[in-house]
Amino acid sequence: MAAVAVHQFAQCITCHAWSPDQSMVAFCPNNNEVHIYKLVQDKWEKVHALQKHDQLVSGIDWSEKSNRIVSVSHDRNSYVWNQEGPEWVPTLVILRLNRAALCVQWSPKENKFAVGSGAKTVCICYYEGDNNWWVSKVIRKKHNSSVTSVAWHPNNILLATTSTDGKCRVFSTFIKGVDARESKTGTSSDPKFGEQIVQLDLSSSWAFGVNWSPSGSTLAYVGHNSMIYFVDDVGPSPLAQNVAFRYLPLRDVLFVSEKLVIGVGFDCNPMVFAADKSGLWSFIRFLGERKESSSGPKSGSQFSEAFGKFYGQSRQGLSNDTVEPSKIQGAAHDNCINCIELLKQKGIKTKRFSTSGMDGKVVIWDLENQQDLMEYL
Amino acid sequence: MAEAEKPVEPGSAENILTKIENKSGKIENLIKQFKPAEALQTALEDSPPQDERCKSANWTVVHKALMAVKDVEGMLLSLDPKYYDILMKYVYRGLSTGDPATCDRCLKIHEKLTEKVGFGCILRSLADTVNTV
Repeated sequence: MAAVAVHQFAQCITCHAWSPDQSMVAFCPNNNEVHIYKLVQDKWEKVHALQKHDQLVSGIDWSEKSNRIVSVSHDRNSYVWNQEGPEWVPTLVILRLNRAALCVQWSPKENKFAVGSGAKTVCICYYEGDNNWWVSKVIRKKHNSSVTSVAWHPNNILLATTSTDGKCRVFSTFIKGVDARESKTGTSSDPKFGEQIVQLDLSSSWAFGVNWSPSGSTLAYVGHNSMIYFVDDVGPSPLAQNVAFRYLPLRDVLFVSEKLVIGVGFDCNPMVFAADKSGLWSFIRFLGERKESSSGPKSGSQFSEAFGKFYGQSRQGLSNDTVEPSKIQGAAHDNCINCIELLKQKGIKTKRFSTSGMDGKVVIWDLENQQDLMEYL
Repeated sequence: MAEAEKPVEPGSAENILTKIENKSGKIENLIKQFKPAEALQTALEDSPPQDERCKSANWTVVHKALMAVKDVEGMLLSLDPKYYDILMKYVYRGLSTGDPATCDRCLKIHEKLTEKVGFGCILRSLADTVNTV
């Protein structure tokens, strides 16, 4: 079984993040708070409730090396939380937004974080030691609609964003004084802050989660039209692959290795995509259990009943039992999965990740025993 | 009969309407020869056009082919997979007409097509607001 642990924390979880040693998890239980739970002798106990936001906390990230939590909310604010003794002390970061903040991520070096907002902007925040506060620089141009997801490239400068205008864009977030200047080469100049490197217009519908591969050579993002896009050579002439699949759309995506991507979404079950030797991406299988329930007329499955009514017009009686219902008994999640996080372990090649969803569960998955996926890891 | 060339954007509306008329002739022939699956595939080629009039003209042609299909499963087997998403869009357009015969046929096709291609196809036909039929 790929799902190694299932924890029911709340009725619904908006987003989650793990502490550096993975002993604690922070999440938003669909309200204006951030709850931190710690694993104490095999039981999860609530150790902190961070209460500063006025509205839904839409994004949380926990930095690995500096042990700081950043939270953003629909109240247009962002807080950086530092642990001082037993308490978490918040520092307000003024984002100057006039719409909700939707997503946040620490940069790889943890000296910056990016916030996507409904104001069609992306805020890059960095720490100014002189004044002991976080400054926000805004990328105002280019986006035509809400920015749903942000993802940092391993080089700490490039940022990929997805938006409900259907496009995925890559920007430079080079900030003088924060980012080290690259060695002076003759013709290339340092990319300016906010400069758009590339705009990918592959989807004709909303785009959601985006993620870079560990080396930064491949980008993957998902569209609301049940498609996932893989892009190599992100630059002036990118190589894109559009992979259409037969299931419900995805909401978030994660590279577990260079050749293995996990997508999560409305099917309540992580989907595995992998690249073969020639670099061609395709859907492999679902990760969790997926019993094909043969539903007769008396079965309780919502979908087969609905389809039965739909098709009943054209023929007599029986509910359609050949269409696979998406909600299957025995699956780890019962509702849409909207967040996936990698569980990093120093020195060991990562094979574990966690998912959280609208059913209030956080599920930990391990690819260790998935023999057919070993070749991609 | 010469194959209609892929319309080079921007093709004038008249240009495209002429091509659709040509298609219509071809399709009628194929239907008379009891080859409804081929007729449908021909109808779906180069779809959907951008202009409103062209869309209506194309729909008439596709509708003719759809109504001629008796063996839905066979038709789906022979249809090139790249036309699945477009076919689903036309099925929904057919369902929106409310005409009992059309809806009946479209429901049958919807059922078999969903079985074959899954929910993703339905999502793609709904989510695409740019290439509407």
